[in-house]
Amino acid sequence: MSGLRSWVARRLLFGVVQTVAVVLLVFALTEALPGDAAVALAGDQPDPERIAAIREAMELDRPAHERLADWAAGLPHGDFGTSLASGRPVSTYITDGFGPTLLLAALTVALLVPVGVGLGVLAARHEGKLVDRLVSSVTLGVYAVPEFAFGVLLITVFALRLGWLPPTAVGYGTDLLAHPAALVLPVLVLLSRPVCSLARLVRAGMIDALASPYAAQARRYGVPGARVRYGHALPNAIAPAAQQLARTIDWLLCGVIVVEALYVIPGLGTVLMNAVAERDVPVVQGLAVVFGVTTVVLNLGADLVARRFAPRAEVAA
Amino acid sequence: MRHRFALGALIVGVPLALALLGPLFAGDPGPRAPSFTLGGGHWLGTDFVGRDVWWQVLLGGRSVVLIALAATVLAYLVALPVGLAGALTHRTWLEELLMRPLDVLLAVPSLLMILLVASVFTPGAVGLALLVALVNIPDAARIVHAAAAEAASRPAVEALRMQGETWWRTAVGYVGRSVARTLAADAGVRLTGVLYLVATAAFLGVGVEPDAADWAVMVDRNRTGLFVQPWAVVVPALLIVALTMGGNLLVDAVLEKRKRT
Repeated sequence: MSGLRSWVARRLLFGVVQTVAVVLLVFALTEALPGDAAVALAGDQPDPERIAAIREAMELDRPAHERLADWAAGLPHGDFGTSLASGRPVSTYITDGFGPTLLLAALTVALLVPVGVGLGVLAARHEGKLVDRLVSSVTLGVYAVPEFAFGVLLITVFALRLGWLPPTAVGYGTDLLAHPAALVLPVLVLLSRPVCSLARLVRAGMIDALASPYAAQARRYGVPGARVRYGHALPNAIAPAAQQLARTIDWLLCGVIVVEALYVIPGLGTVLMNAVAERDVPVVQGLAVVFGVTTVVLNLGADLVARRFAPRAEVAA
Repeated sequence: MRHRFALGALIVGVPLALALLGPLFAGDPGPRAPSFTLGGGHWLGTDFVGRDVWWQVLLGGRSVVLIALAATVLAYLVALPVGLAGALTHRTWLEELLMRPLDVLLAVPSLLMILLVASVFTPGAVGLALLVALVNIPDAARIVHAAAAEAASRPAVEALRMQGETWWRTAVGYVGRSVARTLAADAGVRLTGVLYLVATAAFLGVGVEPDAADWAVMVDRNRTGLFVQPWAVVVPALLIVALTMGGNLLVDAVLEKRKRT
């Protein structure tokens, strides 16, 4: 038990280090501007007034470590600084975009696990047969396709040719739940890559687990097939998949940014892209911290879950 | 598995040939026509500023393919020495110093990192290749390190060392050659991942001119005319899908074959 406890402690500590690293990195990357940051951020409108305003707003006259300390001290209280473009606090940008993004992510994850695991188990049960070959080829093919290309083709087919679904969420505002039809394509596109990766991993894990000595032994004892499959083999197949699930958070995040841009959904991804276009550094920094810390926490959670399912597995810490 | 190889090669062949050979056949751009029209001597119609879509398609694949290749090579140029040094050194602190920061960096989502940099300065094509390489270094170095650490712990390495062979001969001649197989497999998988990232970044406007002849940019810019002139969006989107899908099928088939032999 002490081994497990020390492992959990090490893993938690590593999570803290990662969080600190994300905060430092976000600050350092935007700090690494060549030349005068205020001039560079003014971009297309380099008039002295605007440059002075940016210098004032970002307090560029103070040394970098002081600004970092102030900024980092505010983060735990939800104080992310103020926007350069509008002067509003960055936290209001985050709360504005939070709803639609959370809805998209929650729907995707809620569908991802049953669909991915289901497809993987289905393929594994029919290993080598037509169903398996079909599922394997399709998941392998779709796995690497960028969301924007896939999404735009879906719009063409389902909105343009067939007219079944609205092409974008324009005009629906943030209340997307009231317009479920507008959510179908975005969620479908968001699911495409993670489902493929999850299904492939579950399939491989299931085939290994079903061929293992303990599964054979359980069958010899007369344990029913379904129980061997879902009670014994599946948990072992899910352990590596749970970690992959955490890595797909990275993809989901990339996916959310692209999907929101493609379907014009006013979520965090859209806020981020607008801020990038306007060079609104405090907003970009705030969102990057939110996204980065979310990734760290979810990775941590997935490692703990993987450890729970298959305690003997070597989990990186 | 042979049919998967043939299928992958077939699917990836069309966009790859267009990307690499297209610029040779593109010829003269011709005069501009009204935007988003069909016909009028334009086989695939015109785009958002009235340029011929087919001409843009011929030119638009090269940047994606070349940036992806360059980024993959660049990532390994850094990851290989770092991973090998980490695996071969006898000083634990040096190994930790080389590898631990990379573990920490793995936590940062790759597209987020690219967008962060794009918010403070505008990277060109070279900048995009560097950025994509940068976000791939941690993972690539980890794989090099893991493969090399396994090879470096073999008795053969100990024997080479006792014979007084040079570090270079041990590191490159033996360990380097032992990990080549694993790396070839990883390089194939990484290339498809890089291709995804380069195309997505270009779609979001990072590393490309807003009116560039680039498949991903074409999809983005011509979306406004999707209902009038779908070809300007559908053709480049299909080419990107074929490139990434076929590439992945091909890499998988090759890896499967190697595993068996």
